[in-house]
Amino acid sequence: MSVFIYGIALQWRLDIRSKTLLITCYAVPLLFFAIMGGIFTSVNPEAKYTLIQSMTVMGVSMGALIGLPPSLAEIYGSDIKNVYKANGVPLYFGVATLFLSAFTHLFLMSAIIYTAAPLAFGAALPENPPLYFGALAIFIAVSLSAGCVLGLAVKNQAKLTMLSQLIFLPSIMLSGIMFPTAFLPRALEAAGNLFPAAWGCRLMTDGCFIPRNLLPLAVILAVAIILCGFLLKRQRSE
Amino acid sequence: MNDAIQVDGLKKNYGNHPVLKGLDFNVIEGEIFALLGINGAGKTTALECIEGLRKYDGSVTVTGKVGIQLQSASLPAHIRAMEAVRLFAKWNRAKADGSMLAALGIDTLAKKQYAGLSTGQKRRLHLALALIGEPDIVILDEPTAGLDVNGRISLHDHIRGLKAQGKTILLASHDMAEVESLCDRIAILSGGELIFLGTPDELTAKVGRRCVIHIKTAQGGESFETDNLADTMLALLERYRQRKIAVLDIKIDRGTLEQHFIDMAGRCGA
Repeated sequence: MSVFIYGIALQWRLDIRSKTLLITCYAVPLLFFAIMGGIFTSVNPEAKYTLIQSMTVMGVSMGALIGLPPSLAEIYGSDIKNVYKANGVPLYFGVATLFLSAFTHLFLMSAIIYTAAPLAFGAALPENPPLYFGALAIFIAVSLSAGCVLGLAVKNQAKLTMLSQLIFLPSIMLSGIMFPTAFLPRALEAAGNLFPAAWGCRLMTDGCFIPRNLLPLAVILAVAIILCGFLLKRQRSE
Repeated sequence: MNDAIQVDGLKKNYGNHPVLKGLDFNVIEGEIFALLGINGAGKTTALECIEGLRKYDGSVTVTGKVGIQLQSASLPAHIRAMEAVRLFAKWNRAKADGSMLAALGIDTLAKKQYAGLSTGQKRRLHLALALIGEPDIVILDEPTAGLDVNGRISLHDHIRGLKAQGKTILLASHDMAEVESLCDRIAILSGGELIFLGTPDELTAKVGRRCVIHIKTAQGGESFETDNLADTMLALLERYRQRKIAVLDIKIDRGTLEQHFIDMAGRCGA
């Protein structure tokens, strides 16, 4: 157990030293929050009721879909995985430590938004904070699981960056954080429901755990875990 | 002496391309054994099969705890040397201290990130990491590739030190000089096949002992290639004496293992 805890703590430090994760988990989401928070609440005063949730969805999606996959590809697309094999370390060590490290970074970033939004833009705090943070934890976990699939499936960094963007952009555009999904054509609205961002946004905004929001996230998480298992098995047999 | 590693009929294909075509060799406890070959001969693949990193056909038996020095780029870019030592120590349930880094002369780099290390420093760090679990057998893949002369000499000393501690060393190399100076026995691979197994002296004896005699006289220098040093030398000196040419210096180049290896690889069409 101490090996695993040391691995997570070490990964946490490595993430801070790695500019990629620092930028995608903190710099860009918080910059986006600082700029767009003002614009959203100026254009539509009602936005203050969902500002924390929408900015958090954007930040978490960016960290999970764009920040995490390159770090995973660095491990599983290189000789680092041979280090695991050579030392008898299970191959899931890298995924697990990166997942938990990124989870804490994204939770921290979300907490900064939660704290700063009311002060900076008069944003309304969620009515039930424990429930909100519970929903946030679920959303971060599901988003990171999707990021893990990307990082394990694609070894080439250039292709990975392109694919991550291809998933991140529609995820954000169709999730309802930029504009209500009711304004979208039905096909695009349905397409948005394929991504965790749409369901995460609803889960955090509704303020209660209802199966209609939880079930799709559970399905995405289950599919991602199965795919990660399959991809790790493929790595082992290479 | 017992075998530390026994390899029987080791075969490996990448797709339809056979990389190893049935290798048979043993590594004896306490010796330094080299897998030698040009790039693409199958050295690294053979090592990876022995290390258990790749699936293979045939049989590989390893007796004892193994420490593996992998090639560069096998650590995260931002990890510090001492953090890597601590991580490997935890994986191997060993004590993490800086003594291993100190022994390899890189203790001053404990806080330096992996990406900032030179090639030589990375090699030493990988060797330190391979030794953390106090292995009986140390496997080194091209341990001195990319090092300068001082780095090579220093790393060779460390490898000899490991042998002195009773450890078995298996290394892959394409550097003949390294193998000649370090190893007790060598296996030469060419095209995935074993074309020689024995000591450096046995290789020399098998290929022949060609010499080049360099003679410097008052009129200039001449070189003569021969397989029979004594007779050729006597004949040359007699010739110079008859012509009344003063011989100022004589040098004999007895040939390196590298020349013998090139001869052998050439004969095998490598």
